[in-house]
Amino acid sequence: MFVRIIGFELRYQLRNPVFWTGVILFFLLTFGLTTSDQISIGSNSNVHVNSPFAMAQAELAFSLFFMFVSTAFVANVVVRDDETGYGPIIRATRIRKFDYLFGRFLGAFIAVALAFLAVPLATFVGTLMPWVDPDKIGAFRPGDYAYTYLVVALPGLFLTSAGFFALATATRSMMGTYVGLVAILVTYTIVTTIASKPEYMTAMAYLDPMGFGAVDLVTRYWTVAEKNTLLMPIVGPVLWNRALWFTVACGLLAIAYFSFKFETRGRKARKKDALGTQAVAAAPPPTAFVRAVPRFDAAAARAQLVARTRLDMAQVFKSPAFFVLLALGLFNAGGGIWFVDGGYGVDIYPVTRRLIDVLRGAFAFIPVIVAIYYAGELVWRERDRGTEEIIDAAPVPDWVFVAPKILAIALVFVALLVVSIVAAALMQLIKGYSNVELGKYLWWYLTPLTVSLTLFAVLAVFVQALVPHKFLGWGVMVIYIVAQIVAVSYGFEHGLYRYGGGGLIGPIAPLSDMNGQGRAGEAGWWFRAYWAAIALVLAVLTYALWRRGKETRLTPRLRRLPRRLMGPAGALLAFGVVAAAGVGGFIFLNTNVWNVYHTDKDDDRWAADYEKALLHYQSLPQPKITDVTLNVALYPDDPKAVVSGVYTIQNKTNAPIRELHVRFDHYLKVVGLSVEGAWAKQTFEKFNYRIFAFDTPMAPGEKRRLSFQTVLSQKGFTNSRNMTQIVHNGTFLNDTEIAPLLGMDESMLLTDRSKRRKYGLKPAELRMPKLEDDSARQFNLMRKDSDWVNSDITVSTVADQTPMAPGYKTFDVTAGGRRTARFVTDAPINHFFSIQSAHYSIRRAPYKGVDLSVLYHPGHPWNVDRMLAALKVGLDYDQANFSPYQFHQARILEFPAFQGAFAQSFANTIPYSEDIGFIFDSRDASKIDMVTYVTAHELGHQWWAHQVIGARMQGVAMLDETLAQYSALMAMEKLYGRDQIRKFLKYELDTYLKSRGGETIEEEPLERVEDQAYIYYRKGSLVMYRLKEMIGENAVNAALRSLLRQYAFKGAPYPKSTDLVTLFRQAAGPDPIKQQLITDLFEKITLYDLRTTRAVSRKRADGRYDVTLTISAKKHYADGKGKETDAAMNEPVDIGLFAREPGKKGFTAGDVILLKRMMVKSGVATFTFTTDRSPTFAGVDPYNTMIDRNSDENLTKVGG
Amino acid sequence: MLQIDELTHVYANGVKALDNVTLAIPKGMFGLLGPNGAGKSSLMRCIATLQSPSEGQIHFDDIDVVKTPEKLRRILGYLPQDFGVYPRISAYDMLDHMAILKGLSEPKARKAEVERLLEQTNLYGVRKKALAGFSGGMRQRFGIAQALLGDPRLIIVDEPTAGLDPEERNRFLNLLSEIGENVVVILSTHIVEDVTDLCPAMAILAGGKIVRTGAPTALVKELDGKIWIKTVDKADIAELGKTHQVISTRLSGGRTLAHVLSDTDPGDGFTPHHGGLEDVYFSTLRASRLAA
Repeated sequence: MFVRIIGFELRYQLRNPVFWTGVILFFLLTFGLTTSDQISIGSNSNVHVNSPFAMAQAELAFSLFFMFVSTAFVANVVVRDDETGYGPIIRATRIRKFDYLFGRFLGAFIAVALAFLAVPLATFVGTLMPWVDPDKIGAFRPGDYAYTYLVVALPGLFLTSAGFFALATATRSMMGTYVGLVAILVTYTIVTTIASKPEYMTAMAYLDPMGFGAVDLVTRYWTVAEKNTLLMPIVGPVLWNRALWFTVACGLLAIAYFSFKFETRGRKARKKDALGTQAVAAAPPPTAFVRAVPRFDAAAARAQLVARTRLDMAQVFKSPAFFVLLALGLFNAGGGIWFVDGGYGVDIYPVTRRLIDVLRGAFAFIPVIVAIYYAGELVWRERDRGTEEIIDAAPVPDWVFVAPKILAIALVFVALLVVSIVAAALMQLIKGYSNVELGKYLWWYLTPLTVSLTLFAVLAVFVQALVPHKFLGWGVMVIYIVAQIVAVSYGFEHGLYRYGGGGLIGPIAPLSDMNGQGRAGEAGWWFRAYWAAIALVLAVLTYALWRRGKETRLTPRLRRLPRRLMGPAGALLAFGVVAAAGVGGFIFLNTNVWNVYHTDKDDDRWAADYEKALLHYQSLPQPKITDVTLNVALYPDDPKAVVSGVYTIQNKTNAPIRELHVRFDHYLKVVGLSVEGAWAKQTFEKFNYRIFAFDTPMAPGEKRRLSFQTVLSQKGFTNSRNMTQIVHNGTFLNDTEIAPLLGMDESMLLTDRSKRRKYGLKPAELRMPKLEDDSARQFNLMRKDSDWVNSDITVSTVADQTPMAPGYKTFDVTAGGRRTARFVTDAPINHFFSIQSAHYSIRRAPYKGVDLSVLYHPGHPWNVDRMLAALKVGLDYDQANFSPYQFHQARILEFPAFQGAFAQSFANTIPYSEDIGFIFDSRDASKIDMVTYVTAHELGHQWWAHQVIGARMQGVAMLDETLAQYSALMAMEKLYGRDQIRKFLKYELDTYLKSRGGETIEEEPLERVEDQAYIYYRKGSLVMYRLKEMIGENAVNAALRSLLRQYAFKGAPYPKSTDLVTLFRQAAGPDPIKQQLITDLFEKITLYDLRTTRAVSRKRADGRYDVTLTISAKKHYADGKGKETDAAMNEPVDIGLFAREPGKKGFTAGDVILLKRMMVKSGVATFTFTTDRSPTFAGVDPYNTMIDRNSDENLTKVGG
Repeated sequence: MLQIDELTHVYANGVKALDNVTLAIPKGMFGLLGPNGAGKSSLMRCIATLQSPSEGQIHFDDIDVVKTPEKLRRILGYLPQDFGVYPRISAYDMLDHMAILKGLSEPKARKAEVERLLEQTNLYGVRKKALAGFSGGMRQRFGIAQALLGDPRLIIVDEPTAGLDPEERNRFLNLLSEIGENVVVILSTHIVEDVTDLCPAMAILAGGKIVRTGAPTALVKELDGKIWIKTVDKADIAELGKTHQVISTRLSGGRTLAHVLSDTDPGDGFTPHHGGLEDVYFSTLRASRLAA
């Protein structure tokens, strides 16, 4: 009996459309995930999409969202018989409650499990697709699929199925169950987000019912090799987590069993009876009335339109699904809004712009689903409800049926978006931020999205009017969405054929408080206008093809189409076509005639061709630039930069040079170019690359002049890449975008491994020259064609903006509506220039002979003083310990967020994005002060890049970025004290360890670091701090002073990382332990495993305490792929005893009872100390200066 | 006056629901009788503009129904055989909505009209209740209320009394007959008594064809002296069919009463019977079946 019930239930569920909808949906989602380059969960270009790790991550994520499907299955088991009225018949049979309930539950759960097989199946099918980069796919191992499905996905599915089954038996309602589901999902997300801090990681490994926590804990520091091969071991927290929640699931089933009432509920029947009797007791009728006369004029049509729109809107607003969707969207966006931050766990001021960014990303997909779902519901409602004969026989023109569907969905959009705005504005107010910019919500969010989404709704309604069934219409729309996403990766980017003009929610303009939506905002409206005209055509066609009465087939409707288009409908259609042609033509003029239309794919192919044609010139000796004169006329509103310039070039080689290779940025227009004593021998038009031949070769030491005129401009707007360097307010240009480079190098080439493979480029990776390759020392990091240069830059712009470039301002005149400023250096600087122009507020602070200033957007005043203070602290430290600051000015300039969230150091000039320091909220003293940190880092670059610059080869970033980190760390230590550095180091440690796992090529030791930010920033901080701790601040700084003495402002040969390592070795002295430390820090990838396994404190007779610690220690060396070998450890390590836990709120220097450096060897050892106070926490390396994968086990609570 | 000419309708699956139907329907109640599947609903839907016939013409006064269905809809009241309702909407709101769709745009007059019809159909007391909770009879009354909105000149009611209890059926038929005096009312049914009681004119539809038209009284008169009855055993019916034109058999007091058609006394224990419309109906159906 039991088995047959299971079988029956399973067959029932398999016939249910929900089953197949779920299967298709999740198949498509996973298939998209597997085959698309844009989206990934768990995988990257080295972690295979079918690796156990990536599959586990994907299946976990999908099993969370699968709740919406599995709930439909299991809740259906409970509510079905009540809904169909079949309950009494079933329950009157001899079936037992246990068989009935659990037979059905098991049947439904098997259906859930079968449906979820779509996910691994789609992964498998995806790996077979020819267009997927073969290097993203690992070997096919059926065991991995089975293991991941059974161990990772299935337990979560079982728990949620059991849980929502229990909920359904309690509520006996589908809607109630779904409301509960959303509530649980919201709670779950809030709890897991709050608990996403490292200190809760172990607890969450046990408590997270879905298993994310357990998987994260086990895999967090896995390397690529491990991710690709290891199956998650079912031991420790994972095992306990699975066991715990399996028990909970069984408990929930037991609750469901006991709460389920087998007898029939009679509520509905009674309700009907009551109605029947009431009918007899009817109220007295109204007495007098005027007979209404039907009218068919404009007023009647208007009334009909309003009535239909209200009915259609009510259907949306009254349906439970709407609230589920709204709650889902709000909860998704709510997390983003509430936890919006600036990295490093730093708070930001919740400026409206950032919240709009969050809403566009995390909320706007809800209206898309609403459009698809309700287009189907509304178009098919009359047929679904069986009212079509009555309604369709009414004297209502067809457009009165069609228009309200679109209108109602549009109004629902407005309601949804307004709700999200209210939520965001409330969050702003709750966080104490009162500058709620409603205008920005209106014009950057509500209006463009409402229009774009309505265009999408028209499409959805049109599709539903064509297809023979609602489900088919939904399917078509889902496929359409997938196609939209996939099309981009095939180079189909043009807004003229991508419905809506861009992504699903229309063209998205990058936002900036400085520059608004910029030119992309304007372009967006042209595309919306164009698609609105096409949507009008679709709407008219929807009207003309409208199903009325019993004729639902498409062919007869198509046949009568021409007749239906006679009259106003046809006129409207013609208008739409003409308008679309007109606006489309104008768009085409802008995107393809006035500007060059190019896709990502075009650019990739160009870069590949560029490399194939020109890279072989790389080693050709070229002269170097010694002097640069640039004259840049900016026209921010055009946008346009008219540039003229002169380079003085010198042959610094020992042989004559016969040819000069001059290249310009891909889309830069070269108006004039002449080289003294040379003629244009060859021009590669496609590559903007020219070869000049000297009439008489340039002799060694000889100087000549090169002059050029270029124009960087955009006319009107482009399809998607509107110019972001020159904008109305906030221009930020790099000189390589407007001026030539000499000779060929590896800039502008494809670096992505899979792309290089795709275009047949060799080698597979562009790597920096090896540390041993001393020929590379001829060139510095910034550019190959210059050493230190004299610069003379003139920038002119509109009268009300401030122009800026590196150098001292020697001239600043506003005349004829233009402001012109000239910047000259008094000593050579790096050939690395920024050109900026914007409306700025300026705050100045002269400090010890240096003129400090911050130029900022008037709306972002919060951190200006903090930046100035940081500059002062940094200047003090760096001048006292390294060398004098080489300029008498230092200035920070804000630039728009859409150019990136970074700060960059040019000579005496630091462009700083509005998205970082300017909106950080540093008022909470317990958080890391990122404003000071970033500012001090960038100031540090004035030494570490602008005084000494390394050769472009392995390890070069250690000489600028790592040392700038050191400058920043020391400034922070001076400002906040040594004990506060811990939280910063801990963050650096976690980020380094996590990023190691994402390494796509191979991890290098610090002295060989390539383009690996996690090494030169994150590990760099840890290495420098530990070095300072172990050999002393004075020794480190002495070595750095030597570096500056030997190399500052000197040309080739440039220093390399080993030069500094040698200096560190000299400064550290002959102590073999210190020498070994330097080897471990700079030359190897060293990992420690330190634990305090036991700490006991005993009171002595004399009232003092004996504290005994048991410590285990290990040291490993790792290779580039993460493979580890044991190393003998024998080095001094800090051991500390504390009254309070370090790194926690309230921890101060007074809580340090003892901090002593002890020799620690590999293995287990005990240490005993005698102290005056009894500690509560004790441990080894308490401040996390060492790279340890279990840094949370360094400390332990002290027992009695 | 409704004129139907050579109307043929073939469905997508090849079923010929209507086969060259020609019919003139005068003012007043008109009964359309026919067994299930005879094509009644297809005919009703064609007239109600819900489907375009494959061939043929329908004219109502000067309106060409096939070419300008929107004109007919302005004067049409239609109660389909089966209809659903929107969820979560009350009788009043739904009727009000229908009234707007029927062109009653003036709010005050519309309210009065809606209330009048609710009262007339005895739904006033439950006007605020959700339609979805209505019993079959109540729903049917709501159906007629909406069909009567806006003073239609052509009313089509398809199987209106199915599922009604006797009291409700009477009330419903009375309501129809009151209205039926001035407008064209087409009553499609398979219940012979409905037609007998109400309709001065009628037609019988079988297999998509009109097989009989006329006034019920005249049709009954044609059968005078031709209907004979006899009580037989159930087992003998098959045998009887071989020798006589059995038009109907019916259980009566546990025995079977057979009606046969015969111009002369068949003898054999048959007694003459004063036939009714039912006999007309059954004999016509029998004849059309034999012809087919």
